[in-house]
Amino acid sequence: MNAPSPALVAQRPERLRLVGQRRQLLAIMHQRLMFGMLVYAGIVAIIALRILYLAAFGDHAGRREELTAYVPERGDIVDRNGDALARTIDAWTIAIHPTKVIGDKLALAQRLAQLMPEYSEAQYFALLRSNKPFFYLRRRASPALVEAVNAIGEPGLAIEREPDRLYPQTSLAAHVIGYTDIDGHGMAGMERAFDQYLSDPATRGRPLTLSIDSRVQQALEHELLDAMTHFSAIGAAGVVMDVHTGEVLAMTSLPQLNPNDAGNGSPEARFNRATLGVYELGSTFKPFTVAMAMDLGIVKSFGQIYNCPDELHVYGHVVHDTEPYGRQCSVAEIMKASSNIGTAQIADQVGADRQKAFLKKMGFLDPVNVELKERGRTLTPGSRWGPFETMTVGFGHGIAVTPLHLATGYATLFNGGVYHPATLLKIGPGHPVPQGVRVFTEDTSYKMRSLIRLVVLKGTGRKADAPGYRVGGKTGTAEKLANGHYTSAAVVTSFAGVFPMDDPRYVMVMMLDDPKPTKETYGFHTAAWNIGPAFGVAVARIAPLLGVQPDMQREPDMSLVLPYVRDDQPKKD
Amino acid sequence: MSSRSFHSVFMVASCAAAALGCYLVSLRVASERAQLEGVETKIVLAQRDLRVLQTEIGTRGRLSQLERWNAGAFALSAPSAGQFLRGGFELARLAQPERNVDFQAPVVLASAPAPAEPKPLSTGPETDDAAAPPSNTPSSLLHQASLKTETREVPARTVVTLPQTIAKSTDKPVSAAKPAHKQSMEKPGLAAAHQAVKKAAPKAVMAATKKSVDKAVGTSARPMTKPVRLAKLDPLAPLPGRHSGNTRESAAER
Repeated sequence: MNAPSPALVAQRPERLRLVGQRRQLLAIMHQRLMFGMLVYAGIVAIIALRILYLAAFGDHAGRREELTAYVPERGDIVDRNGDALARTIDAWTIAIHPTKVIGDKLALAQRLAQLMPEYSEAQYFALLRSNKPFFYLRRRASPALVEAVNAIGEPGLAIEREPDRLYPQTSLAAHVIGYTDIDGHGMAGMERAFDQYLSDPATRGRPLTLSIDSRVQQALEHELLDAMTHFSAIGAAGVVMDVHTGEVLAMTSLPQLNPNDAGNGSPEARFNRATLGVYELGSTFKPFTVAMAMDLGIVKSFGQIYNCPDELHVYGHVVHDTEPYGRQCSVAEIMKASSNIGTAQIADQVGADRQKAFLKKMGFLDPVNVELKERGRTLTPGSRWGPFETMTVGFGHGIAVTPLHLATGYATLFNGGVYHPATLLKIGPGHPVPQGVRVFTEDTSYKMRSLIRLVVLKGTGRKADAPGYRVGGKTGTAEKLANGHYTSAAVVTSFAGVFPMDDPRYVMVMMLDDPKPTKETYGFHTAAWNIGPAFGVAVARIAPLLGVQPDMQREPDMSLVLPYVRDDQPKKD
Repeated sequence: MSSRSFHSVFMVASCAAAALGCYLVSLRVASERAQLEGVETKIVLAQRDLRVLQTEIGTRGRLSQLERWNAGAFALSAPSAGQFLRGGFELARLAQPERNVDFQAPVVLASAPAPAEPKPLSTGPETDDAAAPPSNTPSSLLHQASLKTETREVPARTVVTLPQTIAKSTDKPVSAAKPAHKQSMEKPGLAAAHQAVKKAAPKAVMAATKKSVDKAVGTSARPMTKPVRLAKLDPLAPLPGRHSGNTRESAAER
């Protein structure tokens, strides 16, 4: 249209040039427009495609991950049968915003003092008149209280729900489970050891399964508490353990602690005697000494004779027996009557280095190997571990270990001689039995069964027998150290036993701290009189729970020991 | 207008319809999904409620509480070793009364007869020993040991055939037959043995129980033509009278 023929009109050359420029400009504009339109269409297409994609496959904004399962704020802790030991629930919290209170502050203070008498009316009033923006009145309030506070109808009161840790079984296995602080962080026990696992959103959906069996735990706690109350002991500890896997089926420390209100528990109650407390456990060590000697070929038979005088003068010290033989006695008799003098001689033959090596392999020289963080340091003679100390360690004095150490040691001795560290987590898929360390030979382990059964059948542990359950075990009474001196006024009595003895499956250790003599014990406060009977009662209750069938006919091979016992000695401990 | 000129219109219309269809499907899917999520949310809420209730029940029925109830009200204790049974046999043994040895009971010995030719009753004179016809019934395999020497001295003159009344009486329960036999009341162990041995009627036994049997024999005597009946009672079993008494007592004990 802008191109008339030059033949008709003789245009001026500048005008022609102008036309050419306009055409060029127009073409560029077309190009740019087209480009812009393409970009625009592209964006629209992208948006449309995205919308289509979202409509077909997309999630909407409110959708959450893992909607099909309820994930608690903090993971549950359950026992080996799946019963809850620790759970997080939504608890009510009552708080107040003093600046937002619009009603009569004095009346409100009166009402609050009636409902929550932990503060006085004046204190509430002072609080309401202060300019604090926020104040907790009660955390973990009961529904009845919440209802009453809600009925006041004051907008300044805030009633909210917040996650709270609840221990449904209250004091059961409190020292194993532990407790959390108000913000839900583990402060003790497994709560502390597995804090990361329990609070991580990725793992807290699956409960932490302990090896504890709550029925066994309850039985152990109850029997131990009975004994503790009866003999007015200041504390007690108990462990039940599977000898083959090292699983701790029950572990308790008394006095009891309520983890729901751990802050108000006494330090004595919060103290875990089973893993943190170390005690000289006395004669319960003697089987280890005999087993070491058998392993080393020093004791070849339970009929081997030692000289058991009334008192033994060695290395400038004197070793006493409560009721000495005063004659030659066999190894079986030494164990039966729990003779310090005989055991000291056996320990002397074993020697300090080999004794230390054995104890090291059993983990007795280190803090006990378990998941808990509350682990006590073993007390040993250390650099003073000479020949006499070897003797005293041989009969359980001069070395202080935890009750869990002792249980692990007995498990090692009677499961065929293999050490497995104790564990509080259930053995199963995802947590296999760890590789063990051989400490004693299988032969030694087998022969020791008869020796330890002899103690219960004829020796100091007779009161610990549970008919039909073939209990084997050893009493231990150790004098407590008071002001740097051993005193017979205060003792720690313990009993370490294994059942059923013809095929050992479970080891149980019970300990009383400072039991007092009573009328029924004829003034004695040795293990045979207090913890021994309690042990028998506890086994009769626990063994059926663990599937151990009572059988009056079965016994370990007693022909290994019985020929070497002369029945002319009164019992003692 | 030709259809060709509407071609593009049709195309646009069909495209629009297809797009609308797709959109409707997607909308439907989205709404279904939203419903599903609503259900899932409900499930989670129900799970949370379940947990709350479980926790409450678990807390109220905690083991220490059960222990306290047990100590206060139920007083149940762990079973002792003797209360465990190892299977059906031990359980069945509990149901059976205890077998106490009765020293008064007769000593009954088992004896097998020597294989001999059966002798017809009519041929030849019969001695005392050969009075019983040989048969293989269990009762014939038994003979009763006795210390009652004075009764043996009484000679049995004739062959005593078993009267039918007595044979019938063996079918009755022993307790019914018992009052008839005074001697057997005094010596209770004999009663059961009598019933078993009577119908075979060996002479010696008959002599031993003469007093009780003679009267019956006197009333009705018939030739022994009836088939021999099997004993319905175990001769080795303890006395029925005591026996049942024991069962009742032991049942009451359990």
